[in-house]
Amino acid sequence: MAKLKILEFPDPRLRTKATPVEVVDDNLRAFIGDMFETMYAAPGIGLAATQVDLHKRLLITDVTADKSEPHVLINPEILERDGVTISDEGCLSVPGYYEEVERAEHIRVRFIDRQGEAQEMEAEGLLAICIQHEMDHLDGKLFVDYLSEAKRQRIRKKLLKERRHQSAAVVL
Amino acid sequence: MAVAGAKVRAVAAEVLDAVISNGESLDTAIASHEVRISPDDRSLLRMLCYGALRRHWTLQGWVAQLLERPLQRKDRVINALLRIGLYQLNDTRIPDHAAVSQTVEAARLLRRPKLAGLINACLRRFQRDNLADISPATEEARWNHPQWLIEMFRRDWPDDWEAILCANNERAPMWLRVNSSRHDAVSYRAQLGDLAIPAETLAGVPDALRLAEPRGVDELPGFAEGDVSVQDAAAQIGARWLLGSKATRVLDACAAPGGKTGHLLEVGGEEIALTAVDSDASRVESIRGNLARIGRSATIIVADASKQSEWWDGQAFDGILLDAPCSATGVIRRHPDIKLLRRASDIERLSDLQSGLLEALWPLLLPGGRLLYATCSTLSAENEAVLGRFLASHDDAVEDDVLPNNNIRDLMRRRACGYQILPGTAGLDGFYYACLEKKVS
Ligand SMILES: C[S@@+](CC[C@H](N)C(=O)[O-])C[C@H]1O[C@@H](n2cnc3c(N)ncnc32)[C@H](O)[C@@H]1O
Repeated sequence: MAKLKILEFPDPRLRTKATPVEVVDDNLRAFIGDMFETMYAAPGIGLAATQVDLHKRLLITDVTADKSEPHVLINPEILERDGVTISDEGCLSVPGYYEEVERAEHIRVRFIDRQGEAQEMEAEGLLAICIQHEMDHLDGKLFVDYLSEAKRQRIRKKLLKERRHQSAAVVL
Repeated sequence: MAVAGAKVRAVAAEVLDAVISNGESLDTAIASHEVRISPDDRSLLRMLCYGALRRHWTLQGWVAQLLERPLQRKDRVINALLRIGLYQLNDTRIPDHAAVSQTVEAARLLRRPKLAGLINACLRRFQRDNLADISPATEEARWNHPQWLIEMFRRDWPDDWEAILCANNERAPMWLRVNSSRHDAVSYRAQLGDLAIPAETLAGVPDALRLAEPRGVDELPGFAEGDVSVQDAAAQIGARWLLGSKATRVLDACAAPGGKTGHLLEVGGEEIALTAVDSDASRVESIRGNLARIGRSATIIVADASKQSEWWDGQAFDGILLDAPCSATGVIRRHPDIKLLRRASDIERLSDLQSGLLEALWPLLLPGGRLLYATCSTLSAENEAVLGRFLASHDDAVEDDVLPNNNIRDLMRRRACGYQILPGTAGLDGFYYACLEKKVS
């Protein structure tokens, strides 16, 4: 198992549109294991393959505190959505920023699971929000895209600056 | 996806723990911790900490029910975090899922990853078992005050104690004092109106404006130049009361941080010579800051006002304001930590201190002059009891019980001596005033 590197906004690779997964094999399952390790360590409650530079339609979530409800969603599709909910979202690819985003309150999704079986699932609350957030990644979209242009640019500049400081610190 | 808002909750738990376990004042604890979070999160931090202290005993009851055994001493901060979590679920509009996940995450930030699951389980159980619907088991949990203070209010205010306890747990509005040497309150209110900041005047307190919503002072036009200050309207009654008798040589005996000092100067203009004394050197610095902002000056002295030989030039005053150190039980709504930090034994000690100051300052007053005694306490022991003892032992002292204007009558409760404003009356802090006059022999 290995911890993967998470791409950070405004890395252009985060804008890639992911392609469907064709085979669910041991290789992919090993990668999924690494994704969980990466997400739990961050810590986060959801991670899309896009964020770790694999541009396949695959995401994982676990919104519990005790790692008790891991979900793997391969080639997910939203079948139904209803209600609206607004909450502060943050993203492992946009560290340190949390902003209000509007999402459907309740969704029904179809996906393929870790064993390669087709599944359907209902989700609401934080899990629903998290799945929608991660599915955006698969389309090259980030939660900051819902914010005003000015706000997005401010975040972009600050993150770039922080990164310069970090790399400078490493050189020293 | 990352969980938002864990940091502010972790910091809130640390602030709360500093107050509950270390007896730090809430203001001090917030000031030293809030630098760690982004300015956007600071109002949430305040909301969580003030709220959790307002509901202290209710939350304590729930925590006791939820934890099978108490946490270890080294993990006390998790007890505070659990309170922060319960407060959010019960009293705020933060969505439950967000409150739970962020509070759980905060346990990890507080380097207690093993206790994150415990927080999660407790918050879920609180929701599932509807603990909020169970009526509080103790008076403390019902009123969210310590028992000794409930008893004191009940004894001093047999008809009002419940209203007082409720008002103490409400949020206080923000009041402004318009600098009357520059604007009147009505014209300043019009300026605020242009900025879409609604405000109300209060009959009988001519310089006061009550804002519909609290604002940062930098949003207030002319704040930096001293056109306006932040001060509860109850505290604004004193300056005009004392100066109503045309006092010219005035002593502000317990002056820091200088709220009333500034008001005396704004109202009294160039006609008064003001001496401001306070025994706390660091707080005296804030008198200087406040006067500099409004562009006025006074003779400022760091001294124990009751030791006149150390600071007094021997020239008597015709007006003395004694805004005495007190329990601050009238401003609990602004400082909910008072409920935890005060002890029953403090009250007697304060009462002695107040009597001592009154005793020591009386000789400094000219015959015919007036001394206005004020506290932000709602307890008789610090108010009419102090004055009653004083009047009984000083033949040259009488109460001048005429109010400075009739419009404030309805705000005031007449006591055996002096007048009490109860907290929440017209949106005011709790305050006590008694005016004494020295007989001309
Ligand atoms: C209620 S506060 C005064 C508030 C102030 N008048 C205002 O309006 O901003 C009481 C003050 O009394 C001061 N104090 C306490 N004992 C004192 C003493 N013996 N002599 C002078 N000041 C004293 C405290 O330092 C504190 O600043």
